[in-house]
Amino acid sequence: MKGKKAIILWISFLILSSISWATPAYLAEKSPYKIGVNLELTGPWAEVTKTVKRTMVMEVEKINAMGGVDGHPLDLVIEDNGFDLGRAAANMTKFARNKEIVAVVGPFEDNLQATTRAIAEREGITDIIICPSNPMVRGLKQRWSFNIAQNDIIVSQKLVDLCLARGYKKVLVFPGNWPLALSLAEYFKRFGEEKGIEVIISKETHKPTDIDMTPQLIKLKPVIESEKVDALYASTGGPPGPIICKNMRTLGIKIPIIGTHAFGFNFIIALGGEAMEGVEFGAGKPVVPYQLDKDDPVRPIVIDFDKRMRERYGMGADQIAGHAHDTIWLIYDALKRCHGKVTRAKFRDALENTKGLKSCHGIYNYSPTDHDGLAKRDMVFIRIQGQRFMRIKFPGFE
Amino acid sequence: MTPWAYIPQLISAGITIGAIYALVGLGFVTIARASQIINFAQGEFVMLGGVITFFLLKRGGLPYPLAALVAVISVVIIGFLLHILVVYPLRKASIPILLMATLGASIFLSSTSGLTFGTLPKALPPFSGNQSLQIGGIFIVPQSLWVLGATFLLLVFLYLLSHRTLLGKAMEASSTDPLGADLLGISRNLMVFLAFGVSAGMGAIAGILITPIFYTSYNAGTMLGLKGFIAAVLGGWGKNSGAILGGFVLGAVESLSVAFIPSGYKDAVAFVILLLILYFRPKGILGSPYIDSRRW
Repeated sequence: MKGKKAIILWISFLILSSISWATPAYLAEKSPYKIGVNLELTGPWAEVTKTVKRTMVMEVEKINAMGGVDGHPLDLVIEDNGFDLGRAAANMTKFARNKEIVAVVGPFEDNLQATTRAIAEREGITDIIICPSNPMVRGLKQRWSFNIAQNDIIVSQKLVDLCLARGYKKVLVFPGNWPLALSLAEYFKRFGEEKGIEVIISKETHKPTDIDMTPQLIKLKPVIESEKVDALYASTGGPPGPIICKNMRTLGIKIPIIGTHAFGFNFIIALGGEAMEGVEFGAGKPVVPYQLDKDDPVRPIVIDFDKRMRERYGMGADQIAGHAHDTIWLIYDALKRCHGKVTRAKFRDALENTKGLKSCHGIYNYSPTDHDGLAKRDMVFIRIQGQRFMRIKFPGFE
Repeated sequence: MTPWAYIPQLISAGITIGAIYALVGLGFVTIARASQIINFAQGEFVMLGGVITFFLLKRGGLPYPLAALVAVISVVIIGFLLHILVVYPLRKASIPILLMATLGASIFLSSTSGLTFGTLPKALPPFSGNQSLQIGGIFIVPQSLWVLGATFLLLVFLYLLSHRTLLGKAMEASSTDPLGADLLGISRNLMVFLAFGVSAGMGAIAGILITPIFYTSYNAGTMLGLKGFIAAVLGGWGKNSGAILGGFVLGAVESLSVAFIPSGYKDAVAFVILLLILYFRPKGILGSPYIDSRRW
């Protein structure tokens, strides 16, 4: 008898708490717009995705405090996919089958996006992915999937500009062996050769899990010396970047290093230490919030965001936090343009028609042929100097 | 340019990582000799050594040597706990069950480390400067010399422990003849307990030594553990000298292989070597006291 009572009490407590959780009392009059979030909250990128989650929660709270979207609050339904393809797919399907969910955000990793994109296409639900697209998924011309990070094409164009500005005539590329790193290398070669830069893509590659690149670099060293290469382009992301820099300096290779936008994180500098000095790359604007031009249209947004992040979580804005911020505001903007009649199809069309939306990373323009949003002008040149990111400017190249 | 030109530099890179494989391999052998258990959490000791030092140095603000010392002591305690909580309760179970238990402990340790210390990769500052030394066209980081020096000292320590002390001899005895050891009043459980401590300490020191050169993260232990295991099998399972030789051979071969085949296969080389050894010379280079050569 006693046990039964306790169970009933528990159940009613759970029901009550879940109700109060789902609909804050002050917004109870209009139903919330639910957004599914499918993230790698555990696994190797747990610390990075934690930033994504925190940012999205903070921005959603801000929107809800402003009165939501035409009075409807936003509501995030967050699920962990554990960096696992199967669970990412299961989460995506679960969100797609839940009629209340308007759109899905995530996953965060390139390896998982092909699967969730396919599910989004089949089920007819918008999927906003936090990593860059790659040539393979772009080739599929999927209608329901959007990427919000700078893609390999504009990153490569930006780096070619960097080489032109620095006067590099011959660049050796040391790519990672995964699709995004390889396509960054290929585009760099294509755009570079159009501008008269000689690009050699090394046959030696590296894996994301390699902890020592010394053997590969020992093999590349004679090439660098005999070909008189001006700079080495580390087309990579994550820990391999600083490892390449460290190992190169250890081996006495002194040529400049250029990197991808994945170098724009503080933990990368911490890993590489002194070897990171002088590394240059193009990255998103949140890397250097206070060094943006005074007339930069997104400067106030980035600085405001950076301040709120520091106040609430004690950490500044970075590229990933910027992507999360932009995701929420893109959703907000698209929902607003649905004019109260929100369906999955309407939301997709509205998102695709996003024009000139200013957010942390720059100005977003989506169109039926462009689901990547950002352009080359939304990136800045960065140099690592004194263990900090310094913005560098070149006349004629921004 | 022929591949031969960069062989000296490759060998010097291989010897550094080889020293670490040797230390991990020795950790396996120390426990295996005392109890016949293959402790698959060995790689996690290496990871924890690096991660805990990093944590104490950056967050705790301790000076480097003290942080390293505290890290080694904590990992030794973790090693003891691993024995008390996982291995000792299963002492009557068969070897495969113990093996699975240590595998589970390894997953537990790496996940706990990810939760407590974060999942982002971490690197320690080098002990003495970044400027690499140039010796006859070969570039060597000072840290490599630290690795080699410390490995040598550990080997001497281990040699003295097992050949010159009563404790070492008791450990030796309980592995070669369990019944005899029992009859002489040697507590085998105590010996295994101590073996876990010694091998955890060695792993932690290896972790602190390499984290300045490479980096460490919560999931780095698995690969290092496997490589160390391969080193121990390659040299001759159950022999200290075998693990040391196996470590250096594996490191050098792995590094050298890059000169001749694409570097993407670098990790595979170790496993190919393991397969070849198991096919053609299962007792390893120096022979193994546990594998009777007549059966093969």
